[in-house]
Amino acid sequence: METEKKRILVVDDEPSITRLLKLNLEQTNDYVVRAENDSEKAVAAAEEFQPDLILLDVMMPGLDGGELASRFEANPKLKNVPIVFLTAAATKSEVYTRGGKVGGLRFLAKPVELSEVVACLKKHLGEETKT
Amino acid sequence: MNSEPATNSKKQTAEQATLETEQRYKRLLASVTDYVYSVTVEDGRAVSTFHGPGCEAVTGYTSDEFEQDQQLWYRMIREEDRPAVLEQAERISKGQETPPLEHRIIHKDGNVRWIRNTTVPRKDAQGRLVAYDGLVYDITERKQAEERLTSAHAELAANEEALKRTLEELKAANQELKETQLQLIQAARLESVGALAAGVAHEVKNPLQTILMGLDYLVPNCPAGNENMAMVLSDMREAVTRANTIIRGLLQLSAQTDFEIKREDLNASVRRALNLVKAQVIASKVSVVRKLDAHLPAVKMDRGKIEQVFINLLINSLQAMSPGGVLTVTTRAGQFGENLKVNETAFRQFSRGEQVVLAEVQDTGSGIAAVNLPKVFDPFFTTKPVGVGTGLGLSVVKKIVDFHGGGVDIQNAVPGGVVVTLVLRAEPE
Repeated sequence: METEKKRILVVDDEPSITRLLKLNLEQTNDYVVRAENDSEKAVAAAEEFQPDLILLDVMMPGLDGGELASRFEANPKLKNVPIVFLTAAATKSEVYTRGGKVGGLRFLAKPVELSEVVACLKKHLGEETKT
Repeated sequence: MNSEPATNSKKQTAEQATLETEQRYKRLLASVTDYVYSVTVEDGRAVSTFHGPGCEAVTGYTSDEFEQDQQLWYRMIREEDRPAVLEQAERISKGQETPPLEHRIIHKDGNVRWIRNTTVPRKDAQGRLVAYDGLVYDITERKQAEERLTSAHAELAANEEALKRTLEELKAANQELKETQLQLIQAARLESVGALAAGVAHEVKNPLQTILMGLDYLVPNCPAGNENMAMVLSDMREAVTRANTIIRGLLQLSAQTDFEIKREDLNASVRRALNLVKAQVIASKVSVVRKLDAHLPAVKMDRGKIEQVFINLLINSLQAMSPGGVLTVTTRAGQFGENLKVNETAFRQFSRGEQVVLAEVQDTGSGIAAVNLPKVFDPFFTTKPVGVGTGLGLSVVKKIVDFHGGGVDIQNAVPGGVVVTLVLRAEPE
């Protein structure tokens, strides 16, 4: 049933990446994906979409992933939504520096295969449903 | 007869001439600093000696003093020179020719003087020796000049020796400078590649992500039975993996990689690395010999990074060997340069006697051409076929080992293959 599908917001300034993630994840029939390429509009998109999890790029023009994560955390409607950083950043420490402590350092390093993305989503969505 | 007065007159003239000659002779003798002496000989023995007036200038003693003290000439000779003078006197007394003798005397004023004594035998009509004459030259100044010259020569020789030593030291310093320069160039190369990598990585990873996601979309949608399309997609995935491996290698060269330094057991890292390449060992059909020192001291290191070092070295060795080869991994501890001998020029960061831990990875492959040995740590340098290696493995090894303050050296082994030596500081208990 459509309502059982998990809602994933993908924020990345690369349209090809968000487009393919949407195609692939929705092809599994387990997810509904909304793609957002403009980080400035991401909070409004999230408020409207009410995602179960946000896949968030780190290095974006304008508002970067770290700042955006802080805004999600500061938003009462979004503060409990888990964030997974999807990043081409070199190291964990770089992700940490840019993303702060928001979202507790969940991250996937690009390039990542669909199977890894799915495993990661299941893990973090599972964690969230338990709490 | 008036012939008598004429005879007397001639005689007087002759006597006058003789007197004048004698006086001239005496004046001459008195005027020179060198002097003549005469020794009268009877039956092969010297019976009396006459010293000419010049003797005072040379010896300080007058002719009268020599006349009154017949042993004075002998006593004034410096003690260590007396045997040679006696021998000369003995030979000339027997009528034998003697070469001039140079020896020292003690002047009346107590100073040492050098003289050259030349003797000439005087014989009668029957050839018997009746006397000998000696000419004594004061050669003190010449001898002093000679001594100064000898001393100058010695000084010159010493200077030359010092110059040679300095030159050798200079050559050694120059060699060391060249090696340091090479190391600096290599370090600079690594640094610039690292900095470049960090910048490029982000730009390359996003397109790789797009391709990979595209493949993930296409693979399940590939028409059944279309083997060519499946093969193309598979090749593309492999290409993405390869490109990503290069990017990862480049990032390991950059300064942005994390290091978690803790006290660790190097043997444990070797074992884990060997375990991780187990599949490649089996596929390569080579045997592995472990010679791990059971009493290895701890090392402060990033376990993951050092495992990466061993994995890179092990994979290099495996790729270099034919089936039947032997891969030997050795660890041991000791005092650097003392009970643990290595090629010290490659490990200048360690002091003699310093407690260190050493690891060696040795293969029985074909080795590395001598001309390529200095380049093996350069990024992208590889002797492997295209697609087999990225040319970053050893650069990464060096980068990681350098970060740990350690050293790494690679040499061709005897009788064949390559041996890589890794040295890290041991941690005190």
